[in-house]
Amino acid sequence: MNQAEVIAKLQTIFDTVFLEPVVLTPVISAKDVPEWDSLTHISLMVSVEKAFNVRFRVGEVEHARNVGEFADLILKRQIEP
Amino acid sequence: MDIIPLKNLLLQNHTDFWPQLKAFTRSARDFEELFLLSSLRRKAHARNLTPPASVAPTPRLRLAILGGYSLYPLHELIEHLCEVENTPVELWQGDYDNYISEIMDDESELYDFAPQIVFLLPAERRCTYTGKLTDPRELQQAEARRVVNSLLDLARKVEEKTRAEIITTNFRLPPLHDLGAYRSRTLGSDWSFRKWVNLELGLAAPSYLHICDWEFLASRLGGLAARDERAWFETKQPCSPALLVELAREAAHLILSLKRAPKKVLVLDLDNTLWGGVVADDGLEGIDLGDTSPRGEAFKAFQKYIVSLKQRGVLLAVCSKNDFARAAEPFAKHPDMVLRMEDIVCFKANWEPKSENIRAMAPLLNLGLDSFVFVDDNPAEIDIVRQFVPEVTTILLGPDPSDYVAQLADCRLFEPRSITHEDAGRTSQYRSDAQRKTLEASVTDMASYLESLQMEAVISEFTPVDVPRLSQLINKSNQFNLTTRRRSEAEVIAVMHDPECVGYSMRLKDRFGDHGLISVVIGKKSGETMQLDTWLMSCRVLKRQVEEEVLNEIARLARARDCSRLEGVFLPTPKNEMVRDFYGRMGFTLTSESETRREFELRLAHFQPIPTKIKIARRAYEPS
Repeated sequence: MNQAEVIAKLQTIFDTVFLEPVVLTPVISAKDVPEWDSLTHISLMVSVEKAFNVRFRVGEVEHARNVGEFADLILKRQIEP
Repeated sequence: MDIIPLKNLLLQNHTDFWPQLKAFTRSARDFEELFLLSSLRRKAHARNLTPPASVAPTPRLRLAILGGYSLYPLHELIEHLCEVENTPVELWQGDYDNYISEIMDDESELYDFAPQIVFLLPAERRCTYTGKLTDPRELQQAEARRVVNSLLDLARKVEEKTRAEIITTNFRLPPLHDLGAYRSRTLGSDWSFRKWVNLELGLAAPSYLHICDWEFLASRLGGLAARDERAWFETKQPCSPALLVELAREAAHLILSLKRAPKKVLVLDLDNTLWGGVVADDGLEGIDLGDTSPRGEAFKAFQKYIVSLKQRGVLLAVCSKNDFARAAEPFAKHPDMVLRMEDIVCFKANWEPKSENIRAMAPLLNLGLDSFVFVDDNPAEIDIVRQFVPEVTTILLGPDPSDYVAQLADCRLFEPRSITHEDAGRTSQYRSDAQRKTLEASVTDMASYLESLQMEAVISEFTPVDVPRLSQLINKSNQFNLTTRRRSEAEVIAVMHDPECVGYSMRLKDRFGDHGLISVVIGKKSGETMQLDTWLMSCRVLKRQVEEEVLNEIARLARARDCSRLEGVFLPTPKNEMVRDFYGRMGFTLTSESETRREFELRLAHFQPIPTKIKIARRAYEPS
């Protein structure tokens, strides 16, 4: 899996969670999406961990500054659980 | 779960969105599913797509949530679960881990909010023994008791300030192997300490305090699946998302059950529900029931569970498409039947649609259809009942009879009612009855006992507001009831408006409690005679001189209506033997006697009011 493939799969999750369509790009981040608040974030992370079968380590998700970095983190945790 | 159709309903502002949301919510199991449904609900409100009026009764229930964790997003889930079940809430959330000061501070926002229900999640990390594992058990137990008492103190404080119903979580047990087998040999381990606290808390909780049993929920889910330390360090979550869902569901269930009565009637199918096979085809010997086969054993176990529901007060009924005689035969003759005919309050075995049979049961049992639960293994029968008597709750039994018990035991429909303030009143009534009996034993003579009770009675002519209670007592009293004449509410109202009738009731209280409305009399004036049509009394107040005061009143009212004699009649029933000689004891003279009635009279010319220890605060037909 590469970053683009991860983002494509993330897109399906975002399509479920958000009512208004969001087109994911590597540079998009939570502040660009009105529906992406701290509450939604918790639910989003649970969905992502299930869909990719990964578990993030404590505190690391908040270091991802945009969707691209988040996708890289998913890739990293797929290789290195 | 495919959420897209629901999202489309929302995007089209379609009112079907709300019933669909409810159905989705009921079946949602995962945190993210439930959370998503809740955010759709919020978005529906934001788009002004409001639920139909019947789905959203106002006013909102005022719910405060506070505790030693982040209550975010727990509050969201609870709000959602309550709202889709037609109980919208207005939420107040405490700050993270600020619950003790929020409760102890008389000026806190919690009290300004005036909650009707308070949901408290005390911090688990404070439920731990701080000394050594090897400390004497007395020391460890004393600390556990302090934890329980401080929680009870918090609850009491909230109750005194708000009169709210309070729900508190108890404490989860650690699922890790730490300490090994030693964990259960000391109260100093979190495992044992919290178990002890949970038990003691549940047993000592007063009636206004309801336990949200987190220990049970976590063990049901699995201790390891329940814990999530990362979520604690990152956002102070109390547990894993999976357990959070269970916690929210349980909290909502407790909140909703505070205003919802449990089901009262279990309606059972027969073939392939209570036994394997079809009795009309296979015959009495051919049905699968009993310890000779595993399948028969499963059906027998199901019957045993059903009997245990009966012992808890659930009424059992049968509704079967069958020939009556064939259907009834196993109940009378099969050696492995646990259920017998006398366990069944209503037995319908015929060829009418089950929906009609169940509908016909409601008036027979004098219960609403919404207190019925129907159980069948046949999806078509379940569907008919769902369609034609939607008030009835249905349970479709799965294909394997070994799961039948679990299906009923997990349905949450027959849980004993949460104890409300009302029930608490009843408890205290029992308690004061006990105190009264203790007093009776300690006072040497009856007169000083009655005096010490400080009884006070209010006698009132029938009033519109009393009609339901009057009719209830008239239709319920069997023992102390001279004529056992039943009257509907309309008939009570008719008495109230009849100028030739007097009708009054007595309420009694004493220093231990209020007995409420305990005696009813209806008299009919006929010339100079007052005929006592009805005289009844609650047996709770026997030997308290209530009868004497009731007679004093009827004599007074009769005289005021220019009557010179009272005429009383005793109509025997299998249950009212205790008042056969009542009129005789009260000074009446027997005038005629037959097997079916005894008539008495009392001449008022020489009647003197009987002195009693009851203070009469008000009399009938007089300004209060």
